[in-house]
Amino acid sequence: MKKFIIKTVINNRKYELSVSPNQTLLDLLREELGLTGTKRGCEVGECGACTVLINGEAVNSCLVLAPQIDGKEVLTVEGLAEDGELHPLQKSFMKHDAVHCGYCTPGMIMSAKQLVEENPQPTEEEIRTAISGNLCRCTGYVQIVDAISEVQK
Amino acid sequence: MKQFEYINAKSIQEAAEILSVLKNEARIIAGGTDLLIELRRPNAKTPQTVVDITSVKELKGISESNGSIILKPLATHTEIHKSDLVKKFAGFLGEAASVIGAPQIRNRGTVGGNVMNAATCADTVPALIALGAKVTLHSVTATRTMPIVDFFIKPYKTKANADDILTEIKIPKLPSGAKSAFIKLGRRNALSISRLSVAAVLVQDKSGIITEARIVPGAALPTWMRVTEAERMLIGEKPTEKLFEAAGKKVSEVMISFTGRRWSTEYKEPVIGVLVRRALEKCIILLNEVRKNEC
Ligand SMILES: Cc1cc2nc3c(=O)[nH]c(=O)nc-3n(C[C@H](O)[C@H](O)[C@H](O)COP(=O)(O)OP(=O)(O)OC[C@H]3O[C@@H](n4cnc5c(N)ncnc54)[C@H](O)[C@@H]3O)c2cc1C
Ligand code: FES
Ligand code: FES
Repeated sequence: MKKFIIKTVINNRKYELSVSPNQTLLDLLREELGLTGTKRGCEVGECGACTVLINGEAVNSCLVLAPQIDGKEVLTVEGLAEDGELHPLQKSFMKHDAVHCGYCTPGMIMSAKQLVEENPQPTEEEIRTAISGNLCRCTGYVQIVDAISEVQK
Repeated sequence: MKQFEYINAKSIQEAAEILSVLKNEARIIAGGTDLLIELRRPNAKTPQTVVDITSVKELKGISESNGSIILKPLATHTEIHKSDLVKKFAGFLGEAASVIGAPQIRNRGTVGGNVMNAATCADTVPALIALGAKVTLHSVTATRTMPIVDFFIKPYKTKANADDILTEIKIPKLPSGAKSAFIKLGRRNALSISRLSVAAVLVQDKSGIITEARIVPGAALPTWMRVTEAERMLIGEKPTEKLFEAAGKKVSEVMISFTGRRWSTEYKEPVIGVLVRRALEKCIILLNEVRKNEC
């Protein structure tokens, strides 16, 4: 099977990578690049644990083939902090106790990131819609919604 | 996933040529939200080659031409839901797109994939049928256009050949003054596959009499179609709860005439009736809003 050479930007760093066609973006991030912040859950698009941004849009990385990120920009939870300083969303999640076991957190934060970039003052309903593709088994969502709604304030 | 080759096609022509050679050995990938799930199944038939069409510019966008909306197959559910053109001339299609899966699925999933996959629960299809959309298929040997209602044979089976690419969905705009609604019943709010749904359109004249009605249930009949028996009951009448209930009852009768009575009928029979009534009521609420603004 032919491997593919792709050029991509992941977390603001340029990469030239050789990928297999049947490898998902999730596999590439976790197994080859060591970016294990992005979690593997259901692998069928239902849990959102694997959410990353491609060109600013939240997607399930388990449903993207690795060669499909050629020429695209990918952002994972590892790319949020700048100069050693956590992203406001990350700080807000900590402040509001929105992280319990933490398995859903990277995906939640990436979904929230697309929302607050496009809509800095979302309503509760907009927040709930934005994270509707992310399952959390611990928090009951209330702290997560609070964390996202307070981030810009 | 088993191994396969991958080709990133740059034009319709290039994709069509690959498909004309490989036929059943190739599969198109657009958003991948149906295809990758299929290929992950343990007993999946893995194609030799996956042809990515997401770089093909000619297959992207939503535009307007001579009274029609031109929906290119790579339009994502997010794009459709946000489109002002769709909002204005095919409101319920945007509504349907907005309740598919979750944001991550809507950001990637395309209308072309939804139509080509032809799942019973495909949420854009009832509205596309009610709108009288036409689909255009292209292969190296032919380009054909047909009404979408003729395109579907049964769930997961369409008239497309293995080497066909869906290149366009052409939608006549709803008549001015028409209002439309899409109602979906899932097991929960997000990420739920439609158990049943209804797409409806109503037009009223100045005195409030219904002059046009379209009703298309989703996930209820062996294939999608307008339920003309129920539509006819509405024409020439003024909207009342009783009338809408009767139309709903007619739709459930038609459903049972196709499917017969089975374990799920006890649930579906009353529920489809209620969904029809609610969809029609929603159209009336929207129509009344327009009237109020006119006064
Ligand atoms: C978690 C989850 C939730 C979902 N929820 C819903 C829901 O609520 N409602 C709903 O309707 N669907 C839902 N889906 C199904 C899916 O997201 C949609 O059907 C979507 O529109 C498919 O589009 P795609 O671009 O991802 O298709 P792909 O997976 O890329 O393709 C689907 C099929 O169509 C073919 N194809 C795609 N484009 C073309 C083309 N232009 N020409 C010829 N063939 C083509 C492919 O070869 C493949 O066979 C859900 C899926 C997931 C994973
Ligand atoms: S692992 Fe991708 S959505 Fe669950
Ligand atoms: S914190 Fe445990 S799943 Fe969300």
